[in-house]
Amino acid sequence: MEPFFRRVFSVAKRVLRQLQHDKRFIGLSLMVPVAIIYVLYVFFDSLNNPLLNANAYVFPFGAYIVHFLTFVLTAIVLVRERVTETLTRMMVNGYQQLEIILGYLIAYSTLATGQSLLVLVEITWLFKLDYSFATLASIYLVMWLLAVISMALAIFVSNFANNEGQVFPFIPLVTLPGMFLSGMVISIEVLPEWAQVLSRFTPVYYATEVLHALTSGGNLWDESAALLSLPAYGFVVLVLASFTLRDND
Amino acid sequence: MTKDLAILAQGIDKRYGHIQALKAVNISVEEGQIFGLIGANGAGKSTFIKLLVGAARANGGSLRVLGLQPRKDRRALREQIGYMPQSPALYEDLTAAENLRFFGQGHRLDRLNEKVKHTLDFVQLSMRADDPVSTLSGGMKQRVSLACALVHQPRLLLLDEPTAGVDLKLRSTFWAHFKDLAAGGTTILVSTHQMDEAIHCHRLAIISEGSILTTDTPQRLLQRGRATLHVWRGEQQEKHAMQDYPIDLPKTLRKYGLEAQVTRLELVTNSLEAIVLDLMGSSPTDLGGNT
Repeated sequence: MEPFFRRVFSVAKRVLRQLQHDKRFIGLSLMVPVAIIYVLYVFFDSLNNPLLNANAYVFPFGAYIVHFLTFVLTAIVLVRERVTETLTRMMVNGYQQLEIILGYLIAYSTLATGQSLLVLVEITWLFKLDYSFATLASIYLVMWLLAVISMALAIFVSNFANNEGQVFPFIPLVTLPGMFLSGMVISIEVLPEWAQVLSRFTPVYYATEVLHALTSGGNLWDESAALLSLPAYGFVVLVLASFTLRDND
Repeated sequence: MTKDLAILAQGIDKRYGHIQALKAVNISVEEGQIFGLIGANGAGKSTFIKLLVGAARANGGSLRVLGLQPRKDRRALREQIGYMPQSPALYEDLTAAENLRFFGQGHRLDRLNEKVKHTLDFVQLSMRADDPVSTLSGGMKQRVSLACALVHQPRLLLLDEPTAGVDLKLRSTFWAHFKDLAAGGTTILVSTHQMDEAIHCHRLAIISEGSILTTDTPQRLLQRGRATLHVWRGEQQEKHAMQDYPIDLPKTLRKYGLEAQVTRLELVTNSLEAIVLDLMGSSPTDLGGNT
């Protein structure tokens, strides 16, 4: 195997081994979105508004929760690597920026796969949604892509923090615009023009566009521009992250 | 004949914002030497080591490590150096062997498992190879950390306070390891603030507030200290202060011709710690002396 791939898989294997040992982390990562989705269900159920179509909201909310949690967990883990100097040690021992980032993405994708699946199953079951398998698979793909992008975004943002405390201001800065400007809560057409421009910088916007098309009876390619923007967004963030992952101060 | 230089630092400056961490630092380390960087906490030792591994960028001066520039040639350089940071920098959830294997894999090593085993034998941790690092004592973690820096058999070993928080017995084991490695041709730069360790080094640089105060062998540094000869004639005591005691002592003793009344002689020299503190301009309150 090429040394590049060998080192990528070495990082992925190491992160997976750590996850395997940290059962509490895995438990929390999987159970927290499940609990929040249940609270979301109670919220919509209590509204009991026949004019409100909950179906239009729940999947974007579910995707947003996965985005939020994946972003926070990945950013903190990366900053912890910097604080404990294991990141410097990795790089001094020959690992390159891209190898580390890809290794992390591969390892944490397994967690994102589980998280997205649990959220999808729970939403479908609690809200008694009756979508075709193809639609559910498409929704799952969008949620999963958003989770992977959130990891890349977290790795990029972690470069601007030297300790866990410095990560916290980035959490609302990166995640809250996704809540208010993505079209998840209100249509972006009613927002001022500058806010509409800003919405394009959050990956939740593209995910919400595709999810809205899917939950209103369309297919994956009805919003092809938004769909293709997701991997493109991920690629750009990945490139930025690999150029900026610091081994020096 | 001059040996090749493993490290050549000329006029190195490093600033963090308005803080000047290193000021015009000049250091040269010959291959195969154990070179000690001695200084108090915050003197600039870790900053200098980070510059050597390319984990920090100098603001001025010229730096060559094994003939390479640490930032520009970092890929080539990092294949030849081993770095032990001040903190253990290990994955606590993984076993000692898994940590070594992971860091070793970064170097594309052949027969990695064999090298991991050999390195764990060297630091006498084979018995705990499969235990998670979180279950090891502080001293054992330091040994795993050292092993991670050694697993690829580097030409140059950069150790940032490797014996901080380590008990006396383990410290002596560490120094035995360093001497074995140096005997095998490895160059070692080790930072410490423990003066009793400095004596093990071939050469020392004393660093204070980012500046190198002096560079010398420990023996020559010791000679810089003042020595006082105490001579007793019965109950009467005389003291003779000497600046250069290996030369001044015979002269002073000659004066006495070792008279029958001389009942006791005592030579009190400054400790290395006292000499270093003197160089730093500190006023030690409890220096003690070596008799």
